[in-house]
Amino acid sequence: MIRSIAVRCWIALASLQVTIVALVLLMALVVLCTLAQTDLGTLGAVNTYMRSFLVMRQVQGLPFRVPLFPGGALVGLVLVANLSAALVRRFEFNPRKFGLWVVHAGLILLVAGEFVTGAFQVDTRMTIEEGQTVNYLESYHQMELAVSDVTDPAHTEEYGVPDSKLRAGAVVPLPGTPITLKVKRYFVNAVLAPRAAGDPPSPADRGVGAQVKITEAPPATSDKEVNAASVLVEPVAGGQSYGTWLVSTVLGAPQSFVHEGRTYLLSMRARRYYLPYAVTLKKFSHDSYAGTDIPKNFSSLVHLSNPARGEERDVLIYMNQPLRYDGKAFYQASYGKGDTLSVLQVVANPGWLLPYLSCALITLGLLLHFGITLFNAIKRREKEAS
Amino acid sequence: MPEHHLNLGHTHSGPSARRPLLAALAMSAGLFLSLGCDRDQVSHASVAKEAPAPAPMAPAHGAAPMTMPPGAMPPGAMPPGAMPPGAMPGGQLPPPPRPTGKGALKWALPKGWTETPGSGMRYATLTPPGAGKLEMSVVVLPGPAGGEPANVNRWRGQIGLPPLEDDALAATRKTVPSKAGAVAVYDFTSLGDVKTRMVAGLLATADGNTWFFKLMGNAEPVAKAKPAFMKYLESLHLD
Repeated sequence: MIRSIAVRCWIALASLQVTIVALVLLMALVVLCTLAQTDLGTLGAVNTYMRSFLVMRQVQGLPFRVPLFPGGALVGLVLVANLSAALVRRFEFNPRKFGLWVVHAGLILLVAGEFVTGAFQVDTRMTIEEGQTVNYLESYHQMELAVSDVTDPAHTEEYGVPDSKLRAGAVVPLPGTPITLKVKRYFVNAVLAPRAAGDPPSPADRGVGAQVKITEAPPATSDKEVNAASVLVEPVAGGQSYGTWLVSTVLGAPQSFVHEGRTYLLSMRARRYYLPYAVTLKKFSHDSYAGTDIPKNFSSLVHLSNPARGEERDVLIYMNQPLRYDGKAFYQASYGKGDTLSVLQVVANPGWLLPYLSCALITLGLLLHFGITLFNAIKRREKEAS
Repeated sequence: MPEHHLNLGHTHSGPSARRPLLAALAMSAGLFLSLGCDRDQVSHASVAKEAPAPAPMAPAHGAAPMTMPPGAMPPGAMPPGAMPPGAMPGGQLPPPPRPTGKGALKWALPKGWTETPGSGMRYATLTPPGAGKLEMSVVVLPGPAGGEPANVNRWRGQIGLPPLEDDALAATRKTVPSKAGAVAVYDFTSLGDVKTRMVAGLLATADGNTWFFKLMGNAEPVAKAKPAFMKYLESLHLD
């Protein structure tokens, strides 16, 4: 009985109908996701529709969110399982079908590539002013609580606690230091205001936060809004508490405490990724069509310096011509400050090659299948003719 | 593509044929999970102070998204109108209540300057006359607001200068007397090809507030406006 059910499930999993349903659902998701970008922004729509297992929505009258549609991750997973099952179930060592196996492998690789991209692609930016040198990238979406040990005259020791670790009650030791951070509360978005006379005491008892009233706000959903990420945190070192601090992206001045002669600055900022090389912006150019303000081209002439590899070279980055280096692509993305500041979008995607490989495999498989079929047909005709 | 299913035979593969595939899938899943976890670790970097990078908040301030032909932007690039998170427009706080009574700071507006009420964290914005990119801001914060060294180093970071130790800061500090108290004034110029200059002062008043006065812009217009700015600081007084 159980064996019979298992066999039927296995046959259903490998069926063509599942493939078609999955492909139709994927097409529907693409349309829905595109429409949803108006309200949710690009990232919000992609996360809600494409990188989720279920598209959850709040329905009026219900206290919880309900699943309305299968998400891209679920459909993609089913498609991969379906194609893999079909490949395994119908496996037959027949050279005539070799092309078809290659096509299926290509399709599986294509879907798997999206999972790799979703899981590992890191989108960051590099903001440089003309004449400045930058050796780190900043995340578009992730924030971090930065603790900077500025004691050493030559170096700053930068510690970044990602927002994913900033949960209420979390205890985060900073490796290599005596400092442990006790997270009291994290606000993805918040409204900060100076405390008025009747306001309750601030949860922060040190720094500027003691004079600030903090109210939780719903996370920003559109691309034009920015979250005011804020955290209430208590640094502890050597059994001594340094009080509770409010650290926020909208509090400009870094706050500091001193432990055993070392000065630590606290600040909230976009998550940073330091690089073993540095980029200097030599010149940013904003070209317009003659006699108009219509942009023609944006370009950044940068100097790449990587002492570890002995590399010193100039690179021109312009539209559709990114600098590809160290597994990352540096695209020209934005500018500012009277055309003296350039913003490069930096994309690191370990799976960037997979879509190309999968397309090549699918093409190769189709060509093989066509070639084999043609060869067999010619052979058969020759046989019939003789 | 579905046609390929139809054309395939219906031969079941043996268990031995499936095991390598399952093993490969399991290994891939394990690899994905282990790599995915690395993103959420506390990061550490030792950064040389000689090669400072732009401050996280300041450099992208005013960054404008580009208008590019369709398809020219890389995937996930900033859409029109969006500001990168680091390019946060200054002051998302509601305006602090204007100090009244003894805490209300007053000044004589230099000739030709214009004053507009502050928005966000700003108490007021003053604009000197003449061409060139420059502006003066007045900000008041409760308490020491992080303290003088941290604020001055934050200012230095805004124009790409490395932070200074307390002794070095003291050497660059000038004091301007005023009826409201002594104003600590700093004058810094960026190292870039396009020089940005900042003349900024801070004053702690008796009610515990700290006032920040910052004249910032391209080096040349700032140099022209500096004498009037210094007179402005001298004119500060409390009721």
